[in-house]
Amino acid sequence: MSSTLIAAPILLPVLAGTATLLFRRRRRAIGAGISMMSCAGLLAIAALLLARTNGAAPEAYALGDWPAPFGIVLVLDQLAALMLVLTALLGLAVSVHTALTGLDRKGWHFHALFQFQLLGVNGAFLTGDLFNLFVFFEVLLIASYGLMLHGQGAKRLTAGVQYVIINLVGSSVFLVALGLLYGVTGTLNMADMAVRAATLPDGDRGLLNAGAFLLMLVFGLKAALLPVHLWLPRTYACTAPAMAAMFAIMTKVGAYAIIRTATLIFGDAAGAFLLPAALATMVLGYAGMLAARQLRDMAAFGLLGSTATLLAAIALFDETAMTAALYYLLHTTLAAGVLFLLVDLVVGWRAVEGADIVPTPAYKGKIALGVMFFITAIGFAGLPPLSGFIGKLLILAAAQSAPLAPWIWAVVLVTSLMGIVALARAGSTLFWKSDTSPPIPASRAAPDYAEAAPVIALLALLALLAAAAGPITAYTQATAAQLFERQAYITAVLGTPDRSTAP
Amino acid sequence: MISMEFLIASAIGVLTAGGIYLALRARTFPVVLGLAMLSYAINLFLFAIGRLAVGQPPIYAKGLTDYTDPLPQALVLTAIVISFGMTALIVVLALRTFLETGTDQVDGKPDESPAEDQEGQP
Amino acid sequence: MYLVWLTLLPFIGAMLMPLVRAQGRSLQTLVAAGPAVIGLVMLGTIAPKVMAGEVPALRAAWVPALGLDVSLRVDALGWLFAALILGIGLLIIAYTRFYLSPKDDFARFLALLLLFQGAMLGIALSGNVLLLLIFWELTSLSSFLLIGFKNDKAEGRQGARMALAVTGGGGLALIGGLVLLGQIAGSYELADILARGAMIQASPLYPAALVLILLGCFTKSAQFPFHFWLPHAMAAPTPVSAYLHSATMVKAGVFLLARLWPALAGSELWFALVATTGLVTMVVAAAIALHRHDLKAILAYSTVSHLGLLTMLLGFGTPAAAQVAIFHLINHALFKAALFMNAGIVDHETGTRDIRLLGGLAGLMPITATLGTVAAASMAGLPPFGGFLSKELMLEEVWHTPFLGAQGLLLPAAVVIGASLSVAYSLRYLYGLYFGTRPDSFSQAPHDPGIGLWLPPALLVAGTVLVGLFPQTLTKGLVSAAAAATTGGTAPLFKPMLWHGLTPALAMSVIAVAFGTMALWQHRPLQKLWDSLALPDAKMLFERGLAGTIAIARALTDAVHNGALQRQLALLFAAAIALGAWGMAAVPFAAGTRPTLPAPPLAIIAWLMLLAGVIAVCMVQAQRFLSLIYISIIGVVVSLAFVYLSAPDLALTQISVEVVTVLLLLLALNLLPKQPPALSGTGRRLRDAAIGVVGGGAIGFAAYAVMTRAPLDPISAYHLANSKSGGGGTNVVNVTLVDFRAFDTFGEIIVLGIAALAIFALLQPASRGPSGQRLRAWLPDMPRSPEYHPMMFAVAARLLLPLASMIGIYIFLRGHNLPGGGFIAGLVFSIAMLMQYMASGYEWSTQRRRIDEHLMIGLGVLIAAVTGLGSLPFGAPLFTSWFDYFTLPLVGEFELTSAMAFDIGVALTVVGAVMLALKELSHVAQRAEKDEAHDDAPMDIDPAKLRAAPAAAEDVP
Repeated sequence: MSSTLIAAPILLPVLAGTATLLFRRRRRAIGAGISMMSCAGLLAIAALLLARTNGAAPEAYALGDWPAPFGIVLVLDQLAALMLVLTALLGLAVSVHTALTGLDRKGWHFHALFQFQLLGVNGAFLTGDLFNLFVFFEVLLIASYGLMLHGQGAKRLTAGVQYVIINLVGSSVFLVALGLLYGVTGTLNMADMAVRAATLPDGDRGLLNAGAFLLMLVFGLKAALLPVHLWLPRTYACTAPAMAAMFAIMTKVGAYAIIRTATLIFGDAAGAFLLPAALATMVLGYAGMLAARQLRDMAAFGLLGSTATLLAAIALFDETAMTAALYYLLHTTLAAGVLFLLVDLVVGWRAVEGADIVPTPAYKGKIALGVMFFITAIGFAGLPPLSGFIGKLLILAAAQSAPLAPWIWAVVLVTSLMGIVALARAGSTLFWKSDTSPPIPASRAAPDYAEAAPVIALLALLALLAAAAGPITAYTQATAAQLFERQAYITAVLGTPDRSTAP
Repeated sequence: MISMEFLIASAIGVLTAGGIYLALRARTFPVVLGLAMLSYAINLFLFAIGRLAVGQPPIYAKGLTDYTDPLPQALVLTAIVISFGMTALIVVLALRTFLETGTDQVDGKPDESPAEDQEGQP
Repeated sequence: MYLVWLTLLPFIGAMLMPLVRAQGRSLQTLVAAGPAVIGLVMLGTIAPKVMAGEVPALRAAWVPALGLDVSLRVDALGWLFAALILGIGLLIIAYTRFYLSPKDDFARFLALLLLFQGAMLGIALSGNVLLLLIFWELTSLSSFLLIGFKNDKAEGRQGARMALAVTGGGGLALIGGLVLLGQIAGSYELADILARGAMIQASPLYPAALVLILLGCFTKSAQFPFHFWLPHAMAAPTPVSAYLHSATMVKAGVFLLARLWPALAGSELWFALVATTGLVTMVVAAAIALHRHDLKAILAYSTVSHLGLLTMLLGFGTPAAAQVAIFHLINHALFKAALFMNAGIVDHETGTRDIRLLGGLAGLMPITATLGTVAAASMAGLPPFGGFLSKELMLEEVWHTPFLGAQGLLLPAAVVIGASLSVAYSLRYLYGLYFGTRPDSFSQAPHDPGIGLWLPPALLVAGTVLVGLFPQTLTKGLVSAAAAATTGGTAPLFKPMLWHGLTPALAMSVIAVAFGTMALWQHRPLQKLWDSLALPDAKMLFERGLAGTIAIARALTDAVHNGALQRQLALLFAAAIALGAWGMAAVPFAAGTRPTLPAPPLAIIAWLMLLAGVIAVCMVQAQRFLSLIYISIIGVVVSLAFVYLSAPDLALTQISVEVVTVLLLLLALNLLPKQPPALSGTGRRLRDAAIGVVGGGAIGFAAYAVMTRAPLDPISAYHLANSKSGGGGTNVVNVTLVDFRAFDTFGEIIVLGIAALAIFALLQPASRGPSGQRLRAWLPDMPRSPEYHPMMFAVAARLLLPLASMIGIYIFLRGHNLPGGGFIAGLVFSIAMLMQYMASGYEWSTQRRRIDEHLMIGLGVLIAAVTGLGSLPFGAPLFTSWFDYFTLPLVGEFELTSAMAFDIGVALTVVGAVMLALKELSHVAQRAEKDEAHDDAPMDIDPAKLRAAPAAAEDVP
């Protein structure tokens, strides 16, 4: 009965989302309250699940009481739990931020869409069924369309058209891959597919590979890998920064799916093109940061680059690298999130409209913003004492034995420098250089400093991530070990391997 | 003698080709048509994955032994519904964007400027 | 444990500063001085142990996965460096108290200074190279903030950014180097690394590691060619220059060279890289220093030059040379910090730092003059001061060190040139300031400052004098202990003395002094010559390089991300094709053996229709109504295929979805351009067609390949077997949807619901802003039939409603056992409802509308969810279905299933979603007319304005 808790991260947002629809959809305050409570609840549940799965074997939950692989199963393992916690943390911060800054008042059904987005993300992390994964991808995507367009305006709408179209095509590719995989293996359950793929006649392997590679392409699209990364910078730069902060988790859903399917079913065959693509994307991302003329672009390209760094680590595909990757995943998601939230504060607080990187006259809260920006930049650029530094060290150390090691090292170190320079330039222009025009009249309302709470909380979290790096890396290490020891997962889902597909 | 399998496979191919071609147009409306066509192709593909069978509907009845594979059909149904929702959204979004910006080009470029440079050169 | 406190104290002090912000400066100074005082006491207490060669250490695990431990240790070298940091830091803080002008934020300055102090201590005491890295980067960050302290000045910002870029970049190289070093040595613990020098130098990775580490050290210690950032860091307040950029931070690089000496030094490569760099830096920087006019610039370049000297000595790789380096490190710290403070006083009193505008101050400010003179003399290496001793020993080493294997005069000659230049600029400093003609241009007559400003430098000067007079007693113990700690062996005999006979070294320094004096005497022509050389300005080069990099980055970014959707899609399709092909090609492919079905003529005809339809749509996509008709033909053909190939449910769904979609497109097209001009050129069309054909071929092949091979016992066999017994329905597809895979369906209706909500959110504001204007402008020229709601249509529609509803319910009920089900039923019903809207108009229908669609969607999803949850009370997992058979009079036996309730949820959501979407779309134009009053502000405005007028923002639509 208590195993139902595994499904809770999916059910809670559903109920919360529908509740915001039913209870007086015109009263935003109620919506905000429900939304924040739901996020807090999700955090609590995720924490429980993490505690429960920590050091334990994976645990399967058969929906509809149909035995796997015939029904749909949810699977809780250390990786899933980790991702759930991360999502809940980010979700809570963002929902509080939006409520404080009043973003949710700028359009319809914000909180419903937000909850459904969480539902999709959590579902993707929990499901053990490939087609069900597709469904949850669609849920989180269509919710993200709504959120991305929230607030509208010409630029956002135009960018939205592109974002939606590219992802619709992506979904089609996903279905083709699913078709191929079902066609040759005759199953949709991931664990079962892992078993069957191992014993597949050679003649069918080609189709299996094709399906696997197409799947990787779709996940690569979500994670914004060269050459299918082009959609990300514009989308994230054009949507409301707070939403971009939430979307920081979506690229990680792609990364998660790659980890899951590669470790469980397909093996590292995809690594051959994953690693070069990731390195190239890193260069493009940080070059974009250097090139950015306004903060939203800078943050968007930064997200592109840091996610690519994560994927490079994943593509190394061994236990040490995965340990590093999972720690860096935690860091980069939160760091990107806080960067976008901060951009939102800058845009909201400072005197001039827009997010251009230009000097401004003194305004209320400029110093405070400057300090926060400095700390955020340290976190994002991967400098001590925040967690990014440890993450990068872990990745470098893990890459040392890889065949492409010199390349990985060069790219990681050079791109880091690009990031530092870009952020230093932006920061000194925004907060040090003050333009000569007279200061803003005192009549202008002072910013509501409470709005900074989520940013400060996330920054504290980054510090905690560094301080507690010992236990956290221990957890990611165990998680990596669990991922590469796939039999435990298979047994958890199918029971003893031999009766895997007996009706 | 042409086989049913060949017809379906080639139909899928043709639909996909048309879909891709239309999806690569520069205005939203043909792109939407292209996506619709792609989804036809995908639905057929998913369905065909269950192998073809004539006169063996997956309606359980005593004595009957041969059925077509029901699972792909269920998948296709789900896929149809989802792609319906997506199509509806993109249609409305395209319209809304046209109303807001006055152009129906996917890159939001106004219609005055010459044709070629309105499309990025890949 | 006290080691931890020792390291943490400055940070704690920094934390305290904001608290005493309100208090007076003296209190703030006391608080800030606290850590240094306590720290010095601590060092004093452990001094005897450390000098005796003990190494107090502490180690606690932090990140075992990485090998990063909190590991601190104090050997003599660390002790010496820590003592320098704290001692000079103390004096600087005292000095700052009187130096900083009242309008500067004193508390913030001290906080940053303490932050830096802590970072430096960390470097000195780290026993783990990764931990050292962390403190290393922290020094870069804190120096960035200190240089930029006067951030309203452009040079302050640029200097800060440059310093960060150079030292930060070097820091990254150092990260690489130290991680490599750790990997080679198999541990990041300093003790282990130092013990494994031979093993490290034998490793093939040694050169890479060495180069990377040297990059880190040389950038930090401003070695040529990275020397240029240091002078620009002088934009910082003078105390910062004295502390960071002469005494401590710039010595971090040298310190690390000494720290890792046992592990890295001794190899050919080491000598070649380190000694040469040091030598070049020493000479070049000295030459520049001689020709600068800003006091701080002169001192800055002289610092660079002396750092070069230290680097060179360490580069020699002999214990003796290393020992001399340690000795000179102490001396340099003493006189250079004193000189900076001295320059600060002059600046403070006269208001200028340009040596050409100064002179003859000896009479006006005797104390300052005395201090400056002594310090400068020590810098010049004149007896009887500390500088002289270390220089003599240095020359001694140089004399009998073969340079790059070649014993010769090259090295001594170069060093003598460097030394002479050093003499020259030192003499120029003291002569130009305190003697010579006094310009009468001083605004107010300069005089000696208060004791607060001259006491700190005085103490340092006293130090340099005493070291000069009693080297043995004062420094022998410390230097030899530190040297021993540096080289990891026993220190050679240390015998600094003022008179050590007529040695080559003495000769060399005599020559140096002579040359130096001549150079000063002939300074004017030399200066002319120098200026005529027009050497490139490193700063300009740096800025230009950076600008160039950014230009490249921009070009790249704009070229790649040109925001064209076609490029994105083309790449996506191409990548899909390529990856699919790669996957296929990787392994041998076996064609299928499954017997194929013969195609009846009808099928072939249908196939031809489909082919024609596709081609037609592609051809006429400019005439949009026409293309709609063609594409619906395709839809019909596809549904027929489903019918023929035993998929009745698919056929039903496909056809009903078809109707709604076309309806939707019609409504949209109503407002879109009908026949826009084509955009793509022929080349573009051909390319796209090619991609399409290849893609189509690929997927067609894949489909054929799968269809023609026997299925590998698919899991659906189980579904067929258990549909009736376990799911209570004979329509396996429907049972799969509402039972086996109900969770998919659950997600599916949520998608549908979200789509509707998103559409609503999209269209609500459509009647405002630019789009509202367009709608209003567009309305009049819309062709209208004379009759707004045709009578016949309206009547037909209303008659149709109950009928359609009946059909809907029928389809719904049979769904579980025969083709049909909630989704199709929902569609049929909503189509009927929509006809009402179309026939009788929006008003009429909304008045008679019972329930709001948002509610309907919510309820639908909720019902489905509750059905899913319903099984929990019975101890069964979520979405476990239940069914049973009942008999009623008249009706006879019938079945009730929980799946039915689930299906109701599905139907509700479908109706709600479809109605909401199409209704919104159908009357968006009408609403534009009504909402004219609304404000036209775009919806994303900055929150500040929202706050200004919360009432306006309370409710958007």
